[in-house]
Amino acid sequence: MQLNNVFRKCFKRQDITVSPETSAADVTGWDSLTHMILINDIERHFSIKFKLMEIMKFNNVGDMLACIKKKVNT
Amino acid sequence: MLFNSFQFLLFFPVVTIIYFLLPHKFRWIHLLTASCVFYMMYIPVYILILFFTIIIDYLAGILIENADEERKFRFLIMSVIANVGVLCFFKYYNFFAANVDLLLHKTGGTANLPLLNILLPIGLSFHTFQAMSYTIEVYRGNQKAERHFGIYALYVMFYPQLVAGPIERPQNLLHQFHEKKKIDYDNVVAGLRKILWGLFKKAVIADRIGALIDPVFDNPHNYSSLAINVAVFLFIFQLYCDFSGYSDIAIGTARVMGFKLMTNFNRPFSSKSITEFWRRWHISLSTWFYDYVFNPLVAILRSWRKWAIVFGLLLTFFLSGLWHGASWSFILWGTIYGAALVYEFFTQAVRRRLFGMLPLWLNHALSKVITFTFIALTSVFFRAKTVTGAFYIYKRLPGIFSELSTSKSAARSRLFGDLDKGALLTCFLLILLLELTHHKEGKEPLDMFVGRQPRAVRLGVYFAMAFSIYLFGVFTQRQFIYFQF
Repeated sequence: MQLNNVFRKCFKRQDITVSPETSAADVTGWDSLTHMILINDIERHFSIKFKLMEIMKFNNVGDMLACIKKKVNT
Repeated sequence: MLFNSFQFLLFFPVVTIIYFLLPHKFRWIHLLTASCVFYMMYIPVYILILFFTIIIDYLAGILIENADEERKFRFLIMSVIANVGVLCFFKYYNFFAANVDLLLHKTGGTANLPLLNILLPIGLSFHTFQAMSYTIEVYRGNQKAERHFGIYALYVMFYPQLVAGPIERPQNLLHQFHEKKKIDYDNVVAGLRKILWGLFKKAVIADRIGALIDPVFDNPHNYSSLAINVAVFLFIFQLYCDFSGYSDIAIGTARVMGFKLMTNFNRPFSSKSITEFWRRWHISLSTWFYDYVFNPLVAILRSWRKWAIVFGLLLTFFLSGLWHGASWSFILWGTIYGAALVYEFFTQAVRRRLFGMLPLWLNHALSKVITFTFIALTSVFFRAKTVTGAFYIYKRLPGIFSELSTSKSAARSRLFGDLDKGALLTCFLLILLLELTHHKEGKEPLDMFVGRQPRAVRLGVYFAMAFSIYLFGVFTQRQFIYFQF
């Protein structure tokens, strides 16, 4: 999955594999401080832009995926 | 009204008993009235400020919910401006005017802004923040607007947490006022236990330490460096016991009636980093700043990447410092914390590697000592009142080395000349007791631990604590430190 690669590049580790249920608690290095860097990496990779309210509502990878899909398809 | 007063000793049981005697539909009126009475014990006319912000935010909540995307934001801004405006006027106007004055004088101009004789309304910093969390959460769609005006007013004014927090969230508190609470033995006991412990921390530990070290902080020139070091070490415990004691009384008071307030402190001295410290100290405030300032700010600036985080941390903690007080000491205190967090952010990997080389117990112990030292040293800004005063204290701290190296016995007798030996010993024993309970809390919530003991032990503990409060407690109406915010 492309998103997996973004995670691996962002947190500089090859052993990360995310699923829709993955959240910050499950990934070392993904914390409240680095969260926005990750979001920015995702935006750059998929050439999309999230709205502030959308970002605030992300609880896990699944939420992000749904939003990415919506933006990539429009 | 102060929690550590005989007025409250009467107020609390009367309010609680009437609460449970009344049918549910009248309870909000009773609690709201009681909260007004509680507030008006300070400066009655200031209740108008509360009414003003309550009306604005009540309307804003409904308007936000019904509006379209664009107008939603406008109504939110209206609410934020009203709350921040009131806060700025009553809390920061004089500080602003005095500094503009100073700047004008230094640049050869003349002062124009009058200084107003305004007394800070009690709890202003707390209830305005709690009100803003309501309108923001309605805006974000996480909270339905409250249509019942009385219940909304009660959310802002609920007396246990009105004047010094915990700063609640609508998702946690608002719905509780709609629920019919039955008198529950476990709630009453847990609540009373919490009040007892909070009162013990405040009236016995905090106020005893305060009585001992106040003269040192007020006139450090008259004291040895050894005494100043001891005072600085003790102060952070005074601050903790004072504030967490208040929070415990607030949480316990609410619990007796069946209301659950959020935790405000979670063994902050076991923090292994400053980042962790802010997850354990004044949790309701740090989460407020995280959710409503830091996170959105960094989200908006996310293309700056690391620098968004740096800017976010510095600005958020600058504001947090400012929230604590309209003075350069608090601003400096906040900014220092911002810088410390930036440091931790940049050095996270390196520190993990370095400390990882140590055996785990040493890693943790060292981290805790370093963190505690930083916290204790920066807390001087809370006490010293001015930046110059704080730096004088810092200047005197290293003097301990020369005092101890010349003659230990001379240093010792100087210390016991400065600070009463008996009082000093009492304070250290109380701190030991405090840390033992914290250590126990690490394994099991204190409440559960006490609850498990045989009845005789429990009653013994309660009686000992109540008696200590009566015997050792300082009841010369020492203000809670956080009341000044």
